[in-house]
Amino acid sequence: MSDPEVPDLDPAFVAHPTVVVDGVSVWFGPKVAVTELSCSFGPGVTGLLGPNGAGKTTLMRAVCGLLPTNQGAVRVLGRDPRQDRSVQQDISLVPEDDAVPGALTARQLVRYTASLHSVRDRYLPEDCLATVGLLDVADRRVAGFSKGMRQRAKIAASLVTEPKVMVLDEPLNGADPVQRAALIELFQALGAEGRTVIISSHVLNEVQRLAARQLVVIRGRLAAAGGHRAIRDALADRPRSVLVRTSEPRRLAGDLLGSDAVQGVAVDGDSLIISSSHAGELAALLPVAARRAGARLREVRPLDDSLESVFRELLR
Amino acid sequence: MSEIPSPPTGPPPSRREPDAPRALALPFVAVVAYTLRACLPAKRWFGVLLPCAGALLFGWLTQVNTLPAAESFADVAEHGLFRLILPLTCLVIGDAVLGADVRSGTFPLTWLSPVPFAVIVAGRWLGGWLVALVTIVPAMALAPLFAGVPGATGPMAVATAAGAAAYIALFLLVGVLVRRSAVWSLAIVLLGEWLLGTPLTGIAQLSPLWEAQQVFAGLWSDGDLLLRSGMASGGGSILRLVLISGFCLGLATWLLGRMRPIGGDD
Repeated sequence: MSDPEVPDLDPAFVAHPTVVVDGVSVWFGPKVAVTELSCSFGPGVTGLLGPNGAGKTTLMRAVCGLLPTNQGAVRVLGRDPRQDRSVQQDISLVPEDDAVPGALTARQLVRYTASLHSVRDRYLPEDCLATVGLLDVADRRVAGFSKGMRQRAKIAASLVTEPKVMVLDEPLNGADPVQRAALIELFQALGAEGRTVIISSHVLNEVQRLAARQLVVIRGRLAAAGGHRAIRDALADRPRSVLVRTSEPRRLAGDLLGSDAVQGVAVDGDSLIISSSHAGELAALLPVAARRAGARLREVRPLDDSLESVFRELLR
Repeated sequence: MSEIPSPPTGPPPSRREPDAPRALALPFVAVVAYTLRACLPAKRWFGVLLPCAGALLFGWLTQVNTLPAAESFADVAEHGLFRLILPLTCLVIGDAVLGADVRSGTFPLTWLSPVPFAVIVAGRWLGGWLVALVTIVPAMALAPLFAGVPGATGPMAVATAAGAAAYIALFLLVGVLVRRSAVWSLAIVLLGEWLLGTPLTGIAQLSPLWEAQQVFAGLWSDGDLLLRSGMASGGGSILRLVLISGFCLGLATWLLGRMRPIGGDD
């Protein structure tokens, strides 16, 4: 989402922001959830990426005004969401948690939200239910819905307010692949309409499909920001360990040690544990080195490739 | 449920069918309707109707007593209806209208709207009071009939309605103040109203329980059996209950803008 007119802008910020987070810290007693986090969001889809417990939900709640900030300030369309109730006309939150008023039907839930926002178009709730594919079950109680259906009911309740800023906390949780694809298409369409769509997820590939711009939050801090490439580059250069099972471990180890991509090699029986800070280069080098050493590769497996480990490395 | 249509770029074909959806309610009406539908599920209704049955049972039990009917009913009204049935029923309703909603995590749905906090508070309170008007008020009003004291029916209905209004406002305020609102509400009744309100008139004057009883005592022809010295009765007590309600609702409105309507976990 970089603006060509402002080439040197910090990737954490956008040129024409609708939501500004300025040095925000939020803590709950001794637990600090968000620490001096500054960023901004503008029209289009922005992905908020981070492992569970990173502070994404807290940040989203602070943006919507559900939580006061202990330090710093949040501005939505130039207004403080904690002080100015009129902001709520323009912002909506789809929370991650399962809490929905189970006694209501999906239609009642969406109509209730529409009434609170003084929506006059009586057809709009029906349209929104149709948009998320819940029109056929609109008279069923939300309590009997699956997690994915609840999420979609909440998304319909959010859509009916026609928000300028839409904050969605893990909205794809519980959705099957077909629903997931359709929801991604919906969010992208909303972003293309000029709405500010902020979507959190802890699934890297999911966010990359959703949003051209991503912010990575780890331990309450902004760890990286930018487009797919910037995040990917940040991930590619992190140190990682790779397990290689081969027929000629010692010869392959000797060949690899001369490479800049390899920081160290440990031999353990028929296995090598290779430390590298350039995973991309290592991936290209490994088959070439194996051919040179006359070694057969039986298994190649990253040892620390969980998303959490990726995020941890980003924070270093 | 496997397919989601395309984004809402235009109205679906069914948009102008003859069976058009009803017009959307005004925000205040929507809050009241939500309170009746969502805050009071079946379990809560059971919790409300059980003490209502207890009120009728108390009225019927009066006839077992060998004392004159009015004297016997005054005794039951003081110790059973006003001290037990009224506060407990109102606690179930008052906790439901806000405290339970906050605890369950569904309150942000209402909080995150442009509706003024005063409208939310008033709507929630009215919803709760309407429930009281169709449950505990008729039950309490019928209790004198079961006791053979028909003259007490009207005063009992008025006293219960006024007392319930103040109680629900008080418990709604507790729901804004603390997460474990049911426990704190019960503590207010047991410690504040029973333990301190019984010997201390100053406390009793702030108590929906005692004021409701004074309303009844002031309006009932045999009410001198229940009158408490140093306190207003009848219309004076109704005025106090209105003031208590107004204070609680006003404070709840003010606090609503300062609360964290969600838990602290990420």
